[in-house]
Amino acid sequence: MKKIIIQGLIMVALFAASLFFMNKVDWVKLFHIEKLTKSADEKINELFLEVFIKDNNELKDSTLSAPIDSILTRICDRNQINRKDIQLHVIESSDVNAFALPGGHLIVFTGLIDFVENESELAGVMGHEIAHIELDHVMKKMGKEIGLSVIINMTAGGGNGEVIREALKTLTSTAFDRELEKDADIMSVEYLSKANIDYKGMSAFMNRLAKEKENLGDHVTILSTHPASDDRAKYILEQGKKRRYEIKPVLSDSTWDAFKTNFKELR
Amino acid sequence: MNPEIKFQYKVTDPELEKASNSYVMSLMAVMVGLPMPIVNLLATLFFYIGNRKQTYFVRWHCMQALLSQASVLIVNSYGFWWSVSIIFTEATISNRYIAFMITAFIFNLTEIILTIYTAVKTRKGEHINWWFYGGLTDLICRK
Repeated sequence: MKKIIIQGLIMVALFAASLFFMNKVDWVKLFHIEKLTKSADEKINELFLEVFIKDNNELKDSTLSAPIDSILTRICDRNQINRKDIQLHVIESSDVNAFALPGGHLIVFTGLIDFVENESELAGVMGHEIAHIELDHVMKKMGKEIGLSVIINMTAGGGNGEVIREALKTLTSTAFDRELEKDADIMSVEYLSKANIDYKGMSAFMNRLAKEKENLGDHVTILSTHPASDDRAKYILEQGKKRRYEIKPVLSDSTWDAFKTNFKELR
Repeated sequence: MNPEIKFQYKVTDPELEKASNSYVMSLMAVMVGLPMPIVNLLATLFFYIGNRKQTYFVRWHCMQALLSQASVLIVNSYGFWWSVSIIFTEATISNRYIAFMITAFIFNLTEIILTIYTAVKTRKGEHINWWFYGGLTDLICRK
């Protein structure tokens, strides 16, 4: 019996020793793993954007989107986020929606721009989506809900449009986990406070959207993605109250009015 | 080793075939069960149950094949769930992961080679007593 125990221990020790020596090698560097993972990620991101833009009309006029860009730049600069890591896309659609796509693509629908009453409402929604990007929620959701098959299909199969469209449907019209949504809300309040933008716009937007849901009908996509509960509005306000700061508008009243008018004319 | 010395009776040809098949079975299970390690153990276990009323020689070799599968199962299961966590969670491919996988591969390869060797030798009428697993089988397998 003793002999067998010793033999067993030697076997375990042998396995542990080989594991120990294998651990001494920098395999990641040797096999260029980081490079491979990065290129696979980039490929997925490109495919997603390509299919999405193909199916939707992106407004390329930078004068139209310049005010949104200014809000985005303020939030990024004040929160040590590399502005170049987030690409803004304004899409022509009557849906009241904004969301993040893999690869740091922030999508804003003209329906949302039409709906918001002031820059703090728009900044609140944008801050929430930037938080999803920065906290890597998009890729987490991809892995969890869309699944491995899609990711494999996209990296190996050369981009099956239908598969990506299905995945896009999930990314653009369903919610993240409750915890992830809460994290994004709290992070957004932090972004807004550091950027000297009024956080109250974010909760006001949620409340107003919930009230006007009946009038807007099917166009309120953002409500299905971001359930506006009382709890949620409450903790946004609670988080905001903890941070006392001076509010400094990003856009002047005239710029905001011109921005809204431009989009109304477009409609 | 001559099986007659250890088992103290003349082992017949059908017994040699059955004992050898237990290793072939475990080998097949390794191949099929690599992506889902539990298949290895289940297959060998079913083979052992199917042969539990056989002679001591056959049972002994089925048990040795089963025990060797058990340690491979532990290693492969750990590797399997680690891989799953890399695909579905935030875990990434690290040096530790690759080191474990290479070690597991060497471990599996050694097991496969030994299994083929034992299957051939057993079929030819030789008794192969594996280091550690042979002693453990002596303890577990009753005459």
